[in-house]
Amino acid sequence: MRDRRMILFGLVRGAAAIAVALAVGAIFIFLSSKEPFTALRYLLIGPFLSFHGGEIAFNTQNFYQVLAAMIPTIFTGLAVCVMFSANQFNLAAEGCVLVGAFTGSLVGIYVNMVTGLHAVVCVLIAAAVCGLIMLIPSLLKVKLGASEMVTSLMLNFVLLYVVLHFLNYHFADRSKGATMTFPFLESSKIPSLVPGNSKLTWGFVIALIVAVVVWFFMYRTRWGYAIRMIGINESFSLYSGMNVGGTIVLSSVFGGVLAGMGGSIEVLGRFNTFQWRELPGYGWTGITIAILAKNNPAAVPLAAFFLAYLNKGCQLMATHSDVPSEMIDIIQATIFLFFAAEQFMSGFRQKLVVKTTREELKKMESVNVLEEESGHASTTV
Amino acid sequence: MEEQELVVRMEKISKVYPNGIAANRDVDFSVKKGEIHALIGENGAGKSTLMKILFGLEQPTDGNIYLNGEKVTLASPLVAISKGIGMVHQHFMLVPSLTVAENIVLGMAPKKSGIFIDNKEAVRLTREYSEKYNLHVDPDARVADIAVGMKQKVEILKALVRGARVLILDEPTAVLTTQETGELFQELKNLKEKGFTIIFISHKLKEIKELTDRITIMRSGLSVGVYETDSISEQEISRLMVGRDVVLKVSKTESVPAETVLTVNDLHYINEWDKKTLNGVSFAVRSGEIVGIAGVEGNGQRELVDILFGLKLPASGDARVSGQSLIGLPQARIRHLGVSYVPEDRMTFGVAQTASIQENVISDRYSRKEFNNGPLFNMKSLHKESDKLIVDYAVLCKSRSQEVGMLSGGNIQKVVVAREFSSDPILIIADQPTRGIDVGATELIRKRLVELARAGCAVLLVSADLNEVMELSDSLIVMYNGRIAGYFDDGKWDDVMMGEYMLGLKSQSDEEIRRACHA
Ligand SMILES: Nc1ncnc2c1ncn2[C@@H]1O[C@H](COP(=O)(O)OP(=O)(O)OP(=O)(O)O)[C@@H](O)[C@H]1O
Ligand SMILES: [Mg+2]
Repeated sequence: MRDRRMILFGLVRGAAAIAVALAVGAIFIFLSSKEPFTALRYLLIGPFLSFHGGEIAFNTQNFYQVLAAMIPTIFTGLAVCVMFSANQFNLAAEGCVLVGAFTGSLVGIYVNMVTGLHAVVCVLIAAAVCGLIMLIPSLLKVKLGASEMVTSLMLNFVLLYVVLHFLNYHFADRSKGATMTFPFLESSKIPSLVPGNSKLTWGFVIALIVAVVVWFFMYRTRWGYAIRMIGINESFSLYSGMNVGGTIVLSSVFGGVLAGMGGSIEVLGRFNTFQWRELPGYGWTGITIAILAKNNPAAVPLAAFFLAYLNKGCQLMATHSDVPSEMIDIIQATIFLFFAAEQFMSGFRQKLVVKTTREELKKMESVNVLEEESGHASTTV
Repeated sequence: MEEQELVVRMEKISKVYPNGIAANRDVDFSVKKGEIHALIGENGAGKSTLMKILFGLEQPTDGNIYLNGEKVTLASPLVAISKGIGMVHQHFMLVPSLTVAENIVLGMAPKKSGIFIDNKEAVRLTREYSEKYNLHVDPDARVADIAVGMKQKVEILKALVRGARVLILDEPTAVLTTQETGELFQELKNLKEKGFTIIFISHKLKEIKELTDRITIMRSGLSVGVYETDSISEQEISRLMVGRDVVLKVSKTESVPAETVLTVNDLHYINEWDKKTLNGVSFAVRSGEIVGIAGVEGNGQRELVDILFGLKLPASGDARVSGQSLIGLPQARIRHLGVSYVPEDRMTFGVAQTASIQENVISDRYSRKEFNNGPLFNMKSLHKESDKLIVDYAVLCKSRSQEVGMLSGGNIQKVVVAREFSSDPILIIADQPTRGIDVGATELIRKRLVELARAGCAVLLVSADLNEVMELSDSLIVMYNGRIAGYFDDGKWDDVMMGEYMLGLKSQSDEEIRRACHA
């Protein structure tokens, strides 16, 4: 009974949080727009409904685009989850996405392989390279005590310029006006999941599967357990006999692997050549997602969906209404803030708990009258 | 009772925590001005919760609080402090990286030029109060470096400096030696004479009889009665608390020591201030026996234990378990040799607070085959293991998935003990194993310890509780000033004699001490 009430509460809280967040967002829209209802409509339902001359239809392509946008951020969200769980504020997921995308591209361009296997190999190699890269901040942390936050942040820029160097001087397709690589071989591309131009590829399915795998890893294996315990209390873990240094390295490497997979799956699914010339930003989004998901891998796809949907809604609002683009950032931030607010509705939750406990206590007492008083009475109900 | 003379009156207080535990149920509690009032009850009875409500740390779900007859709402500790309430918590709330003086003035710091803490003033204030109330501390020591007994004093000073008139002490003596306890009691009595009111939580009935004027007994979140201390016997108290008679005397069979498990050979340790805190300590512990270490806190016991469990490196000397040197080994290897350790500081080393009970009791054994199916945990056997330990050690909880940080202090200790006693150790280093544990559970843990020893485990027992050491040990080492001052293996000891050795008034000849090595 308690559990059912609490699950219900979770759902109600989520819905109410979104409602309040949107209401606050709406205030800003009403302040800044002459056509607030149009703007609001695009923000709220634009990502999956379209309106043509008064006719409302399900807009599959838009919706697929929302899902497609989740692919890289699910991976980075998971990567950050794993590293944050070990209390490692490692920010290099950002750089790893870039390197993963670049390495995956190179394998996709220069290695010949059969369709199917090729893409898999691209992703695996990208993952391996990024895993190795994460050895740098984690070993510096474990061996020398250097703050992983600082080293990983710096590392992002090192990685950016290394990639740019190789792109500019070694792998650029000189026949093109812009700096880009040669096109990927067809065999290396991640196939589409649905017809159309939405870029919703099989990567989406893989991302969901990986989320489940990471959840199992964190909550059902000894390595994930050690990562979490170290994150909670390192002294305790050390005293318990865990290999603290090794586990910290493991969590970072795993984070790198996930980020690398995300980067390579994204480019091989979405583009024909590699042409990123700056950090893609998915790593930062991953941090937001991990925070929203409270480091729980199972909640990462939901958090990623929320962000992707919000993003798409804001994009549509920007193109189809007069809300200025700065305002859009503000609205997006406000909605996010309210949604993330921990204490939201905690008063209501407490009332619910008290009520449930009282009921249970009463029930227990009526049972207790029948039973003999036991030696070790219990407060817990 | 006159309404006016009640400094504190709590009326029909209920508290339901967010996880649905009803920690207090319609509790009435009142304290007269200038008395020392004991609050006692089993682990998890709701004592700390009631006091946290009085200190404004927790909000009651229901009920009213009156201070000096006036109804108040204690929205936060700041409000409570401003109304003259001070609290020393069961788990210290000090900042380890700051000095004693800085901790004492934290949050109310005398400021120089507005921003920076005026350190001189802080030190002066600390000195002044520590003189005035005879609570001696070193204002410049870092809190991370001082012993628990000292932290206790810092906490009390902290409350006094803030102008507390009603002082809540949540198990202040759990960490103190007999001498320190005596000292503290003298101080508390002084404070009482000066008009302070003291609420005192403890599991040690003797102390309660000695110190307090009235007693409120709690059980399962209810108050089961208020008594004049003189009108009630220890037996009656424990029966009211636990609901049955408690035997604290553990019946112990003669020990039959077998092969040597732990040998400590000429250990020296020099601390950060170049003080020799261990100065040539040698002894051995054999399988089947309990060797107790007694001593006033700060005479080298801490360093000794830390070295044995790989938390510190000695300047010289060696310690071996089954012939293998422990020096420089990581904890994983030390545990692998069959050493388990009940740490003194349970919140830092003993548990991961936000993890579940299950996750806490498996922390030393989670990688064993029996708990894993290939790469995955075998959840069934993990559940079985944790449920068994919860039952065996009477951990009061909702379920194995409850967060450890939400257990009562004594139940957290039970979680630690359950894990350390159940890992099939060949050597147990138990540092204050029954600290903060109620009489019923103390009985249980002491019994377990003796059983383990008789089953062939070697036990090194360190405790500030002299009675505990004297009662459980087969042989006894007294430490003074970084050395062994005496070794006793005849079972004939009493606290007077111990006291003389602990205070350095007496010490044995090298010859006699060397017997501790069994070489
Ligand atoms: N922060 C919390 N959240 C949820 N439950 C809690 C919390 N703190 C305490 N409890 C629960 O409330 C009950 C009473 O705990 P409390 O700490 O008041 O006990 P206590 O009488 O002080 O015991 P002890 O002698 O072991 O210190 C326990 O069952 C405990 O698990
Ligand atoms: Mg308590």
